[in-house]
Amino acid sequence: MRLTADTTTCVASGQCAMLAPETFGQRADDGTVILLNSEPPADQRDTARQAALICPSGAIQIVEPD
Amino acid sequence: MTNTANPTLRLPFERPDALTAPPLYEQLRREGPVVRVLTPAGDPAWLVTTFDAAREVFRDSRFGRSHPAPERAARITGAALLDGPSGNYETEERDHKRMRRMLAPAFSAPRMRRLGDRIRELTLGCLDDMQAAHDARPGEPVDIQEVLAFPLPVLVICELLGVPYADRALFRDFSERISDYDGGADAQLAMAEFNAYVAGLVAAKRTAPAPDVISDLIAAQAEDPTFTDEELIRLATGLLFAGHETTSNRISVGVLFLLSDPGRRDRFVADPDGQVESTVEEILRLASSGGTGMVRYAHQDVEIAGVPIACGDAVLIAIDSANRDAAAFTAPEEFDPGRQPNLHVGFGYGAYVCIGANLARTELRTVFPLLFGRFPGLRLAVDLGDIEMRSNRLAGGVTSVPVLW
Repeated sequence: MRLTADTTTCVASGQCAMLAPETFGQRADDGTVILLNSEPPADQRDTARQAALICPSGAIQIVEPD
Repeated sequence: MTNTANPTLRLPFERPDALTAPPLYEQLRREGPVVRVLTPAGDPAWLVTTFDAAREVFRDSRFGRSHPAPERAARITGAALLDGPSGNYETEERDHKRMRRMLAPAFSAPRMRRLGDRIRELTLGCLDDMQAAHDARPGEPVDIQEVLAFPLPVLVICELLGVPYADRALFRDFSERISDYDGGADAQLAMAEFNAYVAGLVAAKRTAPAPDVISDLIAAQAEDPTFTDEELIRLATGLLFAGHETTSNRISVGVLFLLSDPGRRDRFVADPDGQVESTVEEILRLASSGGTGMVRYAHQDVEIAGVPIACGDAVLIAIDSANRDAAAFTAPEEFDPGRQPNLHVGFGYGAYVCIGANLARTELRTVFPLLFGRFPGLRLAVDLGDIEMRSNRLAGGVTSVPVLW
């Protein structure tokens, strides 16, 4: 699995960072997404996938499925 | 599709009880994703009923909260909040982005995680008060709303914003009055009083800043002179209102969901920590979010699901209907605490998605395991049908949740 996170469309809701803190963080100054790991290991892929699905701005994309 | 609203389709629609959505929503979803209705104020609006169309409108930047000609805009209610257009049509997008940038760090996931222990401590205090209320009048029902659902979110938002908890009766009164669909002049007066109260807090923090969100906003203002006092006060008022009303209702309704079926309660009690995350998502999906849906105005002529919507038309996104759309959720009317995935739009979606989503989740995930860990035999003191709904209020909710144990 490979992910991308577009900081320009991100609305800084932080739902990804709440759900999958190993994969997503938030910038301290404006709350926008930081992609901590674009290729999460097997045990983190489910939550990473969920995070992509709930992202309210569509900023998180799964560019390569497992 | 007719362009005239059926006069019987006037919001808010009737609901059989506090846990059930208006049955009319299901009928309307069959008629189409976008239907013509009347707002509680009696003006025409488009109601978005399906999950896909709701997400589409939430994400579509051709819809906003402002209106090109506010004086001609459809009125939604007689409340003093989300009652019609808000913000400046010319600058809405920029203003909103600035607001999000300013507030997002204070509500970020890492900040909310750090707040977790404090929320736990505050919850335990509320549960002590709950036991004390029980001991003071043995055998009498205790109202969850008064001992937990109201005080906890208020304690939390007061600490976050830097608002004295001692003033809670004051802003509870303001909050109730500004959100009354029939409030009219009194709602406007309450809003003026609420803003004046917040203006007092802002003035005090200007001279003595503290580690809280209102002080952060004041600091942000120093760096951005276009962020006016009026905007700052309106924003802080909105946060104080939204930060307690919405979460408070989810706690009350969540308790109702878990207690209205003893088997459901027992299954939760058996493994609260393992089930709480998905249980909370299901509460967020099904808890009524108020009778009008989220208001938007079309900023140009738009077509949604084949329905032409003219520039300036009011569009109400019926979250409660979208979250029960069978096209998006299996057995949508069923409370399924194990539902996966659960992509509800309980916090909205798109650019205006609830900024307090992580705060609400942190509070709700803390409260239910602690409540049912301490009071596993909790039961409703009245029938679900006797729980009075506040159907005439912006954030919905119920008047009380009497419980026994």
